[in-house]
Amino acid sequence: MLGLDLIAPEYLAVLDPFADEAKRIVETSPPLESLPPEIIERAVQRVKWTTKEMLVEPNLNSIRAEVLSFYLMCQGVASVSFPGSPEVRLISEATRKTLRYRMYDLFKKGQIDLCLSAVKRSLNLVDLEIGETIKVAGFTIPREDFYRLRDLRLAEDGLETVDDRILPQYLPRYAVRWTDLAPLLKHRLKELTKLYLVGGWAVITPRDLWDLYASFISVKLEEYVQSVYERILESGTQPAGVLAQVGERISSLVPREVVIRGGFTRGQAGRLRPEFFPPCMKLALNGVGAGLRNYAIMMMLTPFLSYARVAPSGKVATRMADFIDDISIVRDEIAPLLFEAAERCNPPLFKDQPQEKAGIFYHMGFGMTTEPTLADSGRSKWYRTPNCSKIQMSAPSLCRPDELCRQIKNPLTYYFRKKYEGSRAG
Amino acid sequence: MMMREATPEERRRFYQEEWNKRDVPDFILHTISVREFGFDLDGRGPNNRYNQFLTVEQLGDFLRSRAPYSAYASVALYERPSAREGWLKAELALDIDAKDLPVKSCSCPQGSVCERCLDEARQVAKQFAEVLAGDLGLRNINFVYSGRGFHVRINDESVMALGGNERAQVVDYVTGGVIPSDFTMALGYSKVFRERLERTFSLLKVDDLLRVRGMKRSLAQRLIQEKERALAMIRKGRLHELSGFEGLGPKTFRNLLEFLTKLNSGFTDGKVTIDTKRILRLPSSLHSGVSMKCMVVRDLDRFSLEEAVPKFLREAAE
Repeated sequence: MLGLDLIAPEYLAVLDPFADEAKRIVETSPPLESLPPEIIERAVQRVKWTTKEMLVEPNLNSIRAEVLSFYLMCQGVASVSFPGSPEVRLISEATRKTLRYRMYDLFKKGQIDLCLSAVKRSLNLVDLEIGETIKVAGFTIPREDFYRLRDLRLAEDGLETVDDRILPQYLPRYAVRWTDLAPLLKHRLKELTKLYLVGGWAVITPRDLWDLYASFISVKLEEYVQSVYERILESGTQPAGVLAQVGERISSLVPREVVIRGGFTRGQAGRLRPEFFPPCMKLALNGVGAGLRNYAIMMMLTPFLSYARVAPSGKVATRMADFIDDISIVRDEIAPLLFEAAERCNPPLFKDQPQEKAGIFYHMGFGMTTEPTLADSGRSKWYRTPNCSKIQMSAPSLCRPDELCRQIKNPLTYYFRKKYEGSRAG
Repeated sequence: MMMREATPEERRRFYQEEWNKRDVPDFILHTISVREFGFDLDGRGPNNRYNQFLTVEQLGDFLRSRAPYSAYASVALYERPSAREGWLKAELALDIDAKDLPVKSCSCPQGSVCERCLDEARQVAKQFAEVLAGDLGLRNINFVYSGRGFHVRINDESVMALGGNERAQVVDYVTGGVIPSDFTMALGYSKVFRERLERTFSLLKVDDLLRVRGMKRSLAQRLIQEKERALAMIRKGRLHELSGFEGLGPKTFRNLLEFLTKLNSGFTDGKVTIDTKRILRLPSSLHSGVSMKCMVVRDLDRFSLEEAVPKFLREAAE
């Protein structure tokens, strides 16, 4: 890749689409709506890139096409979906992989300083002092730990041995302030307990650096999409034309099917069917007043919806991961219903109690988090749906029994019986 | 140590005769006008919220005139604290309540505290602070004796803008609430986890171990009888050697590890830490439920509960 040094400042836009260099390109370009077809095509194709297509030639035209297609992709998705949607996750993940590959490629080509200059705009980064002793910011790292970190990183990638060209990628070489990684911690893209921390510094390998930086940009992307989405909402007009077309085309590339672990013998879990919910849960879904909000959302709806969705016939288990292989069932199917119900409360539950968002996942057994992963499953208790008698006592205003209610003792029984009858009736 | 509820008259005496603005710590004094204050005026809960005081004198006037059952200040700083709006940042806070410790060596009943479990809470606070300062490199760490336990309050700018998720990860780190991928490293989370595991395991009794899925009584008894041997294995990071205990197969070992890790998480109330709008008991105020002063602790090692006994209680005991 000749000429990279000469074009270095502009090339930073390829590593950081939110850098000033990239913003200048956008500002001096025609509106995204009137971009040439090859850039429009590039905006869609970005989510399909695997390796070489991710690289950008060091010339101004290529850099410009790269930056503009990036913004077109983001704005297109914001115009047809919403923050946190599968479409946003798709472009965020594609961008993360792209950035990671570019960093890897530049390191391989000896353009380490260019990479580091991009990284240092976002993160406090220092080199480890590796000599007789290994130090970071005055703290000594035991040599055994240094090599243990290498071995752990190799093991994470499923490698036992690597050749000398690859090995340096796995040796600790830098350190970043852990507090700079807050955006990644927030979205659980990194876990504090998986970092090797000394005196506030996280010791990392070059591979870690690529991962962290790429994830960092993907988080910025999600925030950017959110800001575009809010602007669209404020404007009151739905974008059409190229933006919508790009958005729709990307949307069509989202893998739709949620994988559910097979082998249920009683096999009655599956997509939620609100028409079969008992009256109390329907009322709770519509939102309730201040005194009942926590009980209705946390104690009634959260267990009810989670068991109804994932546990066959409401079968009790300690961990949701015993039933599902894909966390999107929780994030994309169950949680949105709960968040919407919370929003419909008066006043909206999360307005004055934002911490209760984490409470929802806590009650589903994922511990205190707003970004649950399957690995978190079992970290707290997965609360069970209260019996009708308990609901009657704790939230009498939500108990409006119908005929079937009189025959059952738990709202889940109501749901599964209704659902069974519904399926028999075709 | 006598702990009993304070009468309304004793509360009045405390605030009129003993409360002193000099006991309000600097980290609150310097930000008093941007904090929300909450009060429990009659022992029915802190439902008097959204209070703002521009000066410590105003706060003093309120305390003397109302003699609240409990007084609280927010960990958060706001542009408009009286509306709880315009959130600026918040202290990172850890709440170690002696009555809620998941395992303790004393036998005081559920919901009660004694000097022994208060001392255990103090040790936990100290261990947390060591990791916060050492591994996480944080400064400006303050200890507060809350009446039934300790608060660790961190006013380090680098963490005050963190949200709930990031704070939850800090809780995981300092408590040893996640099983690490490595137990052997000399520093980092590996070491924190070993230390927490050692502390928790050392407090366990046979009945506690029987709560582990698949744990047989004979194995639980053996583990407790040979606790020192097991602790040495944990200390050295040789956890796999625990399988040398007859009957401790891989599945039960995993269950035991998960059980201990869950107990670790319970040494602080994570909900307090992740709540960036929480109100915490005001240092300098009276905890009327136990008639003890909530106060800043400058030297945790030398802190004596005697320092927190209000004058009215001392006089009553004489």
